[in-house]
Amino acid sequence: MAAGVYNQAIGAFQSHSLVNNFNHQQKFNNIGRLVVTKDFISSNCLSRKNFSVIQCIASQTSEVDTASSSSRSKTSARDTHTKSNEAALILVRHGESLWNEKNLFTGCVDVPLSKKGIDEAIEAGKRISSIPVDLIFTSALIRAQMTAMLAMTQHRRRKVPIIVHNESEQAREWSQIFGEDTRKHSIPVITAWQLNERMYGGLQGLNKLQTAERYGKEKVHEWRRSYSIPPPNGESLEMCAERAVAYFRDQIEPQLLSGKNIMISAHGNSLRSIIMYLDKLTSQEVISLELSTGIPMLYIFKEGRFIRRGSPIGPTEAGVYAYTRRLALYRQRLDDVLQ
Amino acid sequence: MMAATFKCPPTTGLHGWGIDASTPRSSRNFVRFYSMRFACNTRYDKLHHVHASISHASFVDPTSLSVSHESSIESTLILIRHGESLWNEKNLFTGCCDVPLTKRGVEEAIEAGKRITYIPVDMIFTSALIRAQMTAMLAMTQHHQKKVPIIIHNESEEATTWTQVYSDKTTKQSIPVITAWELNERMYGELQGLNKQETAERYGHEKVHEWRRSFDIPPPKGESLEMCSKRAVAYFKDFIEPQLKSGKHVMVAAHGNSLRSIIMYLERLTSQEVTSLELSTGIPLLYIYKEGKFMNRGSPVGPTEAGVYAYTQSLSVYRQQLDEMSPCE
Repeated sequence: MAAGVYNQAIGAFQSHSLVNNFNHQQKFNNIGRLVVTKDFISSNCLSRKNFSVIQCIASQTSEVDTASSSSRSKTSARDTHTKSNEAALILVRHGESLWNEKNLFTGCVDVPLSKKGIDEAIEAGKRISSIPVDLIFTSALIRAQMTAMLAMTQHRRRKVPIIVHNESEQAREWSQIFGEDTRKHSIPVITAWQLNERMYGGLQGLNKLQTAERYGKEKVHEWRRSYSIPPPNGESLEMCAERAVAYFRDQIEPQLLSGKNIMISAHGNSLRSIIMYLDKLTSQEVISLELSTGIPMLYIFKEGRFIRRGSPIGPTEAGVYAYTRRLALYRQRLDDVLQ
Repeated sequence: MMAATFKCPPTTGLHGWGIDASTPRSSRNFVRFYSMRFACNTRYDKLHHVHASISHASFVDPTSLSVSHESSIESTLILIRHGESLWNEKNLFTGCCDVPLTKRGVEEAIEAGKRITYIPVDMIFTSALIRAQMTAMLAMTQHHQKKVPIIIHNESEEATTWTQVYSDKTTKQSIPVITAWELNERMYGELQGLNKQETAERYGHEKVHEWRRSFDIPPPKGESLEMCSKRAVAYFKDFIEPQLKSGKHVMVAAHGNSLRSIIMYLERLTSQEVTSLELSTGIPLLYIYKEGKFMNRGSPVGPTEAGVYAYTQSLSVYRQQLDEMSPCE
């Protein structure tokens, strides 16, 4: 796919103005607002064994100060992000692909979603429909890109995700956007091969039975469960983690630091690698980490730390809550505007 | 939604489009059958339902399901224009901005897929834009044969190595998908991202009308339909037609202007005719490629529309084989 750029470091991408452009004043509530909930559904999507869910109660004073200062200065929402120094990070693992369905090792083969995967993506979208998204990163593979696009069709803010093309001068020129208003309502989508699934080398296209027959059961178990042993001509989880985390730190973290809310749509192994970094897991812990497909995971990035917030609840589940005061305000604004 | 309109408006007669007087009366001992149904605006009182004799040994090859006649190779060409995108919904000029489908566009793609579920597909070509690629992928989730479309990556040595498949059986069950910028929508230059109102205000109504309706006048820093045609048709002739010639069944998922350009070539339209050509979104168009010629076969019937028919003997046999086969693994 032309959108995916292999072997090219994605330097400074085209950054259009990304102001969360709410035309009305930000509300400021000073009394009794529920900031944080304990109703996380974190355990559903991760292996319980090696995980401690970090339940962080955001400190009330720092939140209130932030909100009050923003209301006083009546600056744009973007400045609020910088001042509050808090950003949301959503991780979504794509749903079932056509090869998942057939039980074949997929790796970097560019296989699309199955009908079930499409539904999962839309479901995931419903869960994050009230969480701000300023920027989207996906892998170079269509199943992750489709997941992001399908999910965003459900988003209440109704901004338009637009894939950024930097493959060549012509690609850049041809995909240029004119119109200030249009740009403001766009969410740049950056595709990166570094977020691809772990490359499975000689196993790509084989099914589990074939693979066990060809290589032997123990060998296969080793490749699937070890951290540093790659399949023939493939990547180990360690190698995958190296490129995925490096990309995260170089390209994604600076965006979070500047207050941008980010969604990453990627794959089991690239996301595990990133979570390993976010949660400071050991290689032992990361091997047994299982990520649910199509269930988004939310992190709050604040003051240089990543606070895990579990999984946003689905629309059919009861519960009025917010993860942080800032997200609560965002959701309220959506409710008010989108009557 | 209008079905594709071409130089000769569809008659309400039974045969409508695509019956080639030039095709010689068959000397084979089966009855030639066809059906032409446009998606929405023509109704047929009767449909010819014909049985094809399956006496040709060459057909009975379940894995390859070849659609070759004893006398010549025949292949199908499906053209699909993607459905509604998020900027279509907002009435903005999109061009080559890589904007995805709306919920409605997603549904249109799935509907399109249901219409082509029994038509063989060996290869897929799409543009470099996600809305066309998603359309192809969504449509293929409905395909009867359940082969897996796989996007080919040739951007670099590494890309090629990383995407290699190591099982012949799996490869046989795959449909290569080739993405090409040459099939992109016409590049709209400085109009990209503007809405019609803004554009008329900025440039004047007449100018805008000129860009939209002319063949060779480009918007500022953009492509004219002529320029778009050049690159789209060149790509079609260089890369897609050889595949059809070799008997491969091809699906092309692309955009209004790139598809019009291709249809201009297939149907030998004049520049006047092509500027008034409207393609329905999400309604696939079928062509049969045979002996170097393209025969327009209209639009495959949707699943809710009554009618047992086939476009050609070969396709009928293909369909019958699919019905008889157990799902391939």
